[in-house]
Amino acid sequence: MSESKRKTSRSIQEEAANGAVGRSRPERSADTGEEDEGAGPSGIHEEDDDPAQRREIRSQYRDLINSVQQNREDMLNPANNKLFDVLEEANKLFANVRQAREAALDAQLLVLATDLGREKASQLHAEGSAFDPSAFAEHLLSFMGLNRLEEEEDGDANLGGYMPPDAWQRLSKKAQYCFKTAPSFHYMFGSFLAEPPPPRQRVERQRKAPSKEAKRIMPTQLKKMEESHQEATEKEVERILGCLRSYFADDPQSPILYYEFVVDPNSFSRTVENIFHTSFLIRDGLARVYLNSNKLPCIAPVEEGELEPGGANARHQCVISISPATWKEIIEAFDIKEALIPSPKVLSQEG
Amino acid sequence: MSQSKRGSSQNRRSQMVVDDDDEGSFTQPSLSQVQRARDNFTTVQVDRKVAEVVQFILIKDQRKIPIRRTDIVKHVMKEYRSLYLDIMKRADRTFEQVFGLKLVEIDSKNHIYILTNRLEQSLEEPISMCPANPKTGLLFVILGIIFMKGGSVKETLVWNTLKKLRVDVGERHEDFGDVKKTISEEFVRQKYLEYVRIPHTEPLEFEFRWGQRAESEVSKLKMLQFIAELHDQEPQSWTQQYREATSAENTQR
Repeated sequence: MSESKRKTSRSIQEEAANGAVGRSRPERSADTGEEDEGAGPSGIHEEDDDPAQRREIRSQYRDLINSVQQNREDMLNPANNKLFDVLEEANKLFANVRQAREAALDAQLLVLATDLGREKASQLHAEGSAFDPSAFAEHLLSFMGLNRLEEEEDGDANLGGYMPPDAWQRLSKKAQYCFKTAPSFHYMFGSFLAEPPPPRQRVERQRKAPSKEAKRIMPTQLKKMEESHQEATEKEVERILGCLRSYFADDPQSPILYYEFVVDPNSFSRTVENIFHTSFLIRDGLARVYLNSNKLPCIAPVEEGELEPGGANARHQCVISISPATWKEIIEAFDIKEALIPSPKVLSQEG
Repeated sequence: MSQSKRGSSQNRRSQMVVDDDDEGSFTQPSLSQVQRARDNFTTVQVDRKVAEVVQFILIKDQRKIPIRRTDIVKHVMKEYRSLYLDIMKRADRTFEQVFGLKLVEIDSKNHIYILTNRLEQSLEEPISMCPANPKTGLLFVILGIIFMKGGSVKETLVWNTLKKLRVDVGERHEDFGDVKKTISEEFVRQKYLEYVRIPHTEPLEFEFRWGQRAESEVSKLKMLQFIAELHDQEPQSWTQQYREATSAENTQR
């Protein structure tokens, strides 16, 4: 029902807006009708079917439609007569229209023009004041407490002024007087309202965290194993240096036989390990190996000051090989009863 | 899709009654059926059902999305459906006497209900302890423009006016979030606004009108009075709007 009402009112307004144009249309169609009759029952004249001319007409129509769409606001301005001018121009174009395709464009333009006409007519209030949304907005801004003197930091040139943060609250407070809205529940102790979201987040975090950490634990464990291995060597080397130094300090005069020092009579593998670790001491220059008067290798720690810069020249390399057989031979030959380097396990138990 | 599923199951359950309702969930029971149902259930049972319906509607109303009869029947009434009218009448009385609310059927064809406030709002004191919902202000502006412009406005006019009020449709707003969504979806779902395509427009254009909730919840006269106050004019100076507002006020009473 409202649809049909709108249609009729639109056509009435259209007439009002178009005025003279509305009248000229029927005349014109009468003209073309005569011309068509002149063309006879065969329908289309040859001159009517000139593609170049038709193209020209269509392009002119399209230009006109575009300009109407783009200058819509301008055309709605009650101060000018641009809508009328557009319709005049369309009339001129229509005089040359012979075929449906061009006529369809004309119809499209007419729809646009009609719509504009309706809007223009709605600006015309026969009675009472007109309602201007821009003025309404300005009044609202004043009511909402806009400070026009203060500049907003990122404000546009035409949107100057400072809006207080409670601007919409202020308007709502007054506006809700117009609404018969049923009040919705609210919590007597308002803080409840803000509570629910954080716990939900916490739950998510808890759920995600273990899985992430579990993934991360694997590589760190591996790293630690590597580290501990390296560290173990380093510690062992330091421990052996400590042993060596303490034996040397006990009796600096008597030399410490290398084999007596490294060989563990209870364990071949410990012996190999000791040789391995002691080699670091030699390499790093913390201990030196020399032959005593019996041409037996002896080991002694190197004191801080003793380390000569030129000592590097005197360096020698040698590879010590040991097999369980030689190990036993050494034990017998040197009459080794106990290990000078206590095994680390015993040490840690003592510690 | 769930619609059709529900429909069919409802049909099966109410096979004995002649189904003349599109929704299929509710049919007007015959007098004898009502009588039988009244005999079947005790007063205590019906009382409890009424209380359940009241609670259901109160909770549903929190989001201000209208309540459909289908949902009331499906979720609460169930086997009491033949007493629908009895129960709704009593629920309305509870809303009126206990809560000061009114149950309004805003769409008698699709049977959609809302709650409105029966009590006069006083201007002096804040209505509730809660701070006013800023969306009420936004609604006021949009409904106001539509009303003052004669019942329908192009969406561009709304967007342009809001832009003057520092509310940009394309940007997130502190109070309103996604402005376009709030207006053209939330307000529409709540039936405050209608958002419809204007026929024969290229490119597509939409216009806003008052929704059914606005029609029964918002006082045009009070709105006009406030707008007039803002303009420092008399409400009567907008003759047409004043006439419409006063006649609406009389029919609403």
